[in-house]
Amino acid sequence: MKKYGILKLVAVILVIAVCAVLAYNEVKNNNIRTGIDIRGGIYAVLEPDVDKSSFTAEEIDKGLETAKTILGKRLDARNIFDRSINIDSVNDRIIIEIPWAAGETNFNPQEQLNELGKTALLTFQEVDENKVDENGWFLPTGKIVIQGTQVKDAVPAYDEQSGWVVALELDESGAEAFAEATGRLIGKRIAIFMDDQFISAPIVNQKIEGGKAIITGQANATEAAELAATIRSGALPFRLVATKVDSVSPQLGEGAMNVAVKAGIVGFILVCLFMLLVYRLPGFIASVGLFGLAVLTILFVAWTKISITLPGIGGIILAIGMGVDANCVIYERIKEELRAGKTLRSAIDQGFNRAFTAVLDSNVTTLITAVVLYILGSGPIKGFAMTLGIGVVISFVIAITATRLMLQGVTEINVLRNKWLYGVK
Amino acid sequence: MKQVEIIRNKSKFFIVSLAVIAVGIVFYLINGVQLDIQFSGGTRIMIETNSEVDSNKAEQLVEQALGKSVTAQTQKTNNPAAGDEIIYMLRLDIASEETLTAEERDLVIDIISENFDVKEGGNQEMLSVEPSIGRETLLNGLKALLIASVLIILYVTWRFSAIHGFAAAITAIIALFHDILITLALYPVVRFPLGEVFITAALTIIGYSLNASIIVFDRIRENTRLMKKNTLDEIVNTSINQSFLRTINTTVTTLLTIVTLYVFASVNNISSLMEFSLPLIVGFTAGAYSSLFIAGPLWFIWRKGAMAKSLKNV
Repeated sequence: MKKYGILKLVAVILVIAVCAVLAYNEVKNNNIRTGIDIRGGIYAVLEPDVDKSSFTAEEIDKGLETAKTILGKRLDARNIFDRSINIDSVNDRIIIEIPWAAGETNFNPQEQLNELGKTALLTFQEVDENKVDENGWFLPTGKIVIQGTQVKDAVPAYDEQSGWVVALELDESGAEAFAEATGRLIGKRIAIFMDDQFISAPIVNQKIEGGKAIITGQANATEAAELAATIRSGALPFRLVATKVDSVSPQLGEGAMNVAVKAGIVGFILVCLFMLLVYRLPGFIASVGLFGLAVLTILFVAWTKISITLPGIGGIILAIGMGVDANCVIYERIKEELRAGKTLRSAIDQGFNRAFTAVLDSNVTTLITAVVLYILGSGPIKGFAMTLGIGVVISFVIAITATRLMLQGVTEINVLRNKWLYGVK
Repeated sequence: MKQVEIIRNKSKFFIVSLAVIAVGIVFYLINGVQLDIQFSGGTRIMIETNSEVDSNKAEQLVEQALGKSVTAQTQKTNNPAAGDEIIYMLRLDIASEETLTAEERDLVIDIISENFDVKEGGNQEMLSVEPSIGRETLLNGLKALLIASVLIILYVTWRFSAIHGFAAAITAIIALFHDILITLALYPVVRFPLGEVFITAALTIIGYSLNASIIVFDRIRENTRLMKKNTLDEIVNTSINQSFLRTINTTVTTLLTIVTLYVFASVNNISSLMEFSLPLIVGFTAGAYSSLFIAGPLWFIWRKGAMAKSLKNV
């Protein structure tokens, strides 16, 4: 029984040590993603430039989904692959983040974004087999068969015979034009372009009448869905405008981050010293626990690939503060029990048990705040809520499990049973 | 251990808080508070220069050219790559109902480049916010706070039903408002602009202070069970005293980290971090104060009033 406790102590310390090594590797390999406010780049909010009341919620959602696809395609065309495009469906807007790329000269972010937010011009064009670019993609010929506005709908579908396809539905004028062109172009290709970018060029198998067609040869559901969304983009009901653009220079953000990290390390050492001074042996154990909290937070951030922003650092500070707090609450309780004459073992058990409700309630209320802010907040507030929520959960688990196991373990080592070590005469 | 008489002296503690808030109001009347572009909407342009420039001159030049009101400021920041090198930035805030057009922005950059020693290939930053989204950011933040408050009230009312949880919840929320007011009082004194950083700082403070108030109520909940023979003011006073060390220790440790951050930020002239850490220092201190001297005593007044009423009804 006695050795069992020491074994647990060793196990907890080993787990923390392993996590620390893993976290160190993640940091060394630069696997911590940082937000635009730190690494520099463009943060932009795009909103539909329409009176939202004249659309249904589904229309807006579908439109935004389509717009996201278009934005992705347009950024591809500009060779910007490292970016994130997110739909904020609570506020009906799209948030684009494009990190600063090394060697980039100053460009005009607002112009670029207005360009990105334009209504997409989707066309089905006749193909000239000789007009191809270096990738072997067809170039636009200007011989337009139909336009995106003539497409009523395009959805991915599964067909027993042909596998994944995109099913097209055209309006009346589109159907007429399509029937005429497909009748003429059997065996040839019709290419689909967005703006001037080549998307796809299916071969015409037969004359298509009645405005319903399928495009075969899609590799899987994802590819079919993507092509369908691209084709629908021609029918995007609104233009997007940039209502907020923030372009941050990488040097200044990085400077702030370096200073914050240095201050964090120094602050952490000061906190450990303080805990050691006030609570002695349990203070040392709390410091080990806090170190565990820090490395687990780093691992979580690295593995989930969320971006750390300056407000996010605020969330981490608060979570560490709450971790310290749980320890203070518990240790003050243990001291009280010891003063009341309890044995070490029962004082520790009692201390943890009686402090549990206080620690639980304070953590749950903080978690409530974090969740509400994450759902409703925008931009910087979301980043804060995210790290706070994660930090609170990790710190709660560490305080009531790891710290407790470690403390119970050390009490089984005879030299560490002196009550002075627990801050009581 | 000798107890501090908190319940008996509660009015004194209330007066201290009101006095601090009053100082903030006086400074607000003198200095006003500048709403950041992030909330008011407008355009901010930051340009790196080779040396410190005359911001008044820059302000006048740009104002003349645009016909819009402009606030210019210079900022110095240490270069993170080379410690002793200083980066000089000229910051122009153009708050208006319309964000600047591309032509207007080019005009501003041209004027600054012609008249000042702008660093070639240096840092340039731009922020442009439509007033509508700025207001929305502010309103969404407040809305989220309101919903979170309601949920917290429900949770605390349920968990603390043994000690009239609703009273505990409401007094805890009052303590939070107190902390925000004290933190807000800082802004006109040090002339920080009120922007998104404030929202983040306020949220951090609220989380922290609520935590501290709950620790106090947890003690009251426990002592109501253990000290059946004592009077209400004895129970509350003992509970607050028992939470004292914990609150002081937690506050000291948290302040250790934040003060370190503030010191590092001011040595390196990083204004964004200074604007984040200083309100936190004030807010955390206010939070510790309010959880000990405001939330508990207010709950006591509430309960005492309620008890007096129910006695009359009998």
